[in-house]
Amino acid sequence: MKHCLQSMVTAAALAVPLFTTSAMAQDITIDLAGEPATMDPHKQWNPTSYYVYRNIFDNVLTRDNDGTIVGQIATSWNQTTNNTLELTIREGVTFHDGEALEPSDVVYSVKRITNKDFGSPQLGQFNKIVDASAAGNVVTLTTDGPYPALMAQLVKLSIVPEHVVEAVGDDEFNAAPIGSGAYAFSDWDRGVSVTLTRNDSYWGDKGPFETAIFRAVPDAATRVADLQAGTADLVVSIDSDAAAQLASSTEVKVLSAPTERVAYMGLNLDKPPFNDPKMRRAASLAIDRLGITEGLLQAGEIPMAQMASPAHFGYNPDVAAFEYDLDAAKAITGANPDLAATPATLATAPVFDQRIVQALQQMLNDAGFNISISMSDMPTYLGIVRSDPSENSELSFGRWSCACQDADGIAYPVLHSDSNWSRVNVPELDALLETARASLDAAVRQEAYNNVHQMVRDNYYTLPLYQAAVLYGAKSNLNFVPTANESMFLNRMSMPN
Amino acid sequence: MLRFLLQRGGQALIAVFGVVTLVFFIQRLTGDPTALLLPETATQADIEAMRATLGLDRPMWAQYIDFLGDIARFDLGRSFVQNASVWEIIASRIPETLQLAAGALAIALLIGLPLGVLMALTAQKPVSRWTMGLVLACQSMPTFWSGIMMILVFGVWLRWLPSSGTGTFAHLIMPSIALGLLSLATYARITRSAVVDELGKDYVRSARARGVGTGRMVCKHLMRNSLIPIISITALEISQLLAGAVIVETVFAWPGLGLLTVQSIAARDFVVVQAVVLLGAFVTIFANLAADILYSIVDPRVRLSGR
Repeated sequence: MKHCLQSMVTAAALAVPLFTTSAMAQDITIDLAGEPATMDPHKQWNPTSYYVYRNIFDNVLTRDNDGTIVGQIATSWNQTTNNTLELTIREGVTFHDGEALEPSDVVYSVKRITNKDFGSPQLGQFNKIVDASAAGNVVTLTTDGPYPALMAQLVKLSIVPEHVVEAVGDDEFNAAPIGSGAYAFSDWDRGVSVTLTRNDSYWGDKGPFETAIFRAVPDAATRVADLQAGTADLVVSIDSDAAAQLASSTEVKVLSAPTERVAYMGLNLDKPPFNDPKMRRAASLAIDRLGITEGLLQAGEIPMAQMASPAHFGYNPDVAAFEYDLDAAKAITGANPDLAATPATLATAPVFDQRIVQALQQMLNDAGFNISISMSDMPTYLGIVRSDPSENSELSFGRWSCACQDADGIAYPVLHSDSNWSRVNVPELDALLETARASLDAAVRQEAYNNVHQMVRDNYYTLPLYQAAVLYGAKSNLNFVPTANESMFLNRMSMPN
Repeated sequence: MLRFLLQRGGQALIAVFGVVTLVFFIQRLTGDPTALLLPETATQADIEAMRATLGLDRPMWAQYIDFLGDIARFDLGRSFVQNASVWEIIASRIPETLQLAAGALAIALLIGLPLGVLMALTAQKPVSRWTMGLVLACQSMPTFWSGIMMILVFGVWLRWLPSSGTGTFAHLIMPSIALGLLSLATYARITRSAVVDELGKDYVRSARARGVGTGRMVCKHLMRNSLIPIISITALEISQLLAGAVIVETVFAWPGLGLLTVQSIAARDFVVVQAVVLLGAFVTIFANLAADILYSIVDPRVRLSGR
């Protein structure tokens, strides 16, 4: 039927298309799910914003496509003491207004984002830095103690020009940002698009496109249609159904990459039924993780048995996958019928994929549990999962990303008793997490995380589910390598005709 | 007339005050936006600090009184998320929504009214039944579906029209049709029944007896007398169009107030949602006020009965 209709309209398409607009070869049009909230890299951060502004600004460090931390504005670095890191600043870098990027701009950027009054939502990632100073072309960062994740955080610290921000103020800087990146800000048509132009005097790899247009297209079906119609070259946030629809086309392709987001089911260890290790084991046995990743999600997700992924430092490759054995789960719940029948709620929010949440509920109930879903808006959900264990729901679904690719950013908040996200209170686990957080020796840290992941796996303190993946739709001739940190650097792409 | 105006104006003001109050409290009942503004790793102290920065840590009544004062001074505040004045944000979106609403209203009126007249004049004939079927189809298709279908056919397969976005006249065509379809059906049905009513009246028979032709009869006599229900429908349709714009603008990535509403709700940008809802309420209330006044001009009996 679809093909019949399609051939009819294709015949009609012989009429000259009057209005079709198509992107010029040297330009790229990217459809995002929304408008960037801000262009100031020290303000709001979400993928929609940083897809755009990370092309305008250089960061202290960056990750290459393989995920290795490499220099960007800092050419080399040296941990001189437990709490001081010396960065050698690249020379010859200029901002888009022609002024040179000085070490003092790096110091200014660090102080701006760590200034409490500035109110950056990213403060929590940088607040271990207590001081920054410059001498010659060396910038020294002082932390309030050993901070092994500092390098991973500096990958996200963008350098803003002190002379511009101080002259125009935060609002105007947000409206017309000036950075030193491979692309310069050109125009922001509010609600519609942001246009960037190539920085021809960029110190590093120059971008292949003269102009890049990032458009806000909230409806996923419309983004896919734009790609098929040729009005977009790259679209983000599509689901596996849309990917299947694109797979048959020769003009477009689907790109996917595992991200550093780990989906997990949080358990309340203070309340029945999951205060009992046997019941936690039964719940884990009841969950068919492969069924979720390969049957439901189909975007390249990978089942996980730890609160980390191969994209994180601190991943333990030796932790065995969780087994799926419904009969074994039923045997446990059958032996403890009262405990299994204890009503338990699974907290979730609309932002999560409800197919997964419903599948989890179904799998647990099939095994003899009595689970109901409690869906609330995001702030309420966040309130529930961060509340005291006594007020907390028995179960919660969540996806965790620290945007730092270090196990510290994911295992610590979810598992350490100090964190308001954690419902785990195991002194031995706390000690291991603290060791890993305080040591600058990678081997010591890895060893501690190996133990953390094994303990969580053995005791089912929380139930990791899978490493989430991200799907993009792209023109077939666009070369773009999606990465775990969901970056979208224009100067790493190419689009030969 | 003055008394009538004062009475209707007073009612409108009370309605506005009610909406202002409802919007303020309902939004605050649904959750705290700070949780969404901060990364997942934020501590309780970070959250408290952000609440203080945004003034959300003050008692609800104090926030409400400030809010009323701001509204009275036409100060809509600043967006938490976009770090910009709400007036600026809204002002940049209004022209887009007006364009879309005008396009949709034009399609609805220019196609809906003649269809209605056609159905009335051809009542009992197959052509009327066919047209009615078409009108019902327009009314039954959900906008998100008809929008996506149009994008698929005219944007992807035929490539006649841009699949989404804004900028040229061509961009306006599909969203206007998608938004106008429902109103078109309403106009066609209302016009049909109004004209059918009029057709049975004495003056029509007399006019026909005097040899007045169909075209002249429709334009000069029937339409004028069928105007009252059409005016009241237009007042209602304007609010309908604003509501429909939320879906149409999302589907077509049309950067108007509807899309702004969806984005602001998702980001829990209270201040912007508040302002958009207020604006929508103002428009609806004043469209109805304008319709009341128009009735009284078209038909003075309405004014007298208002006393």
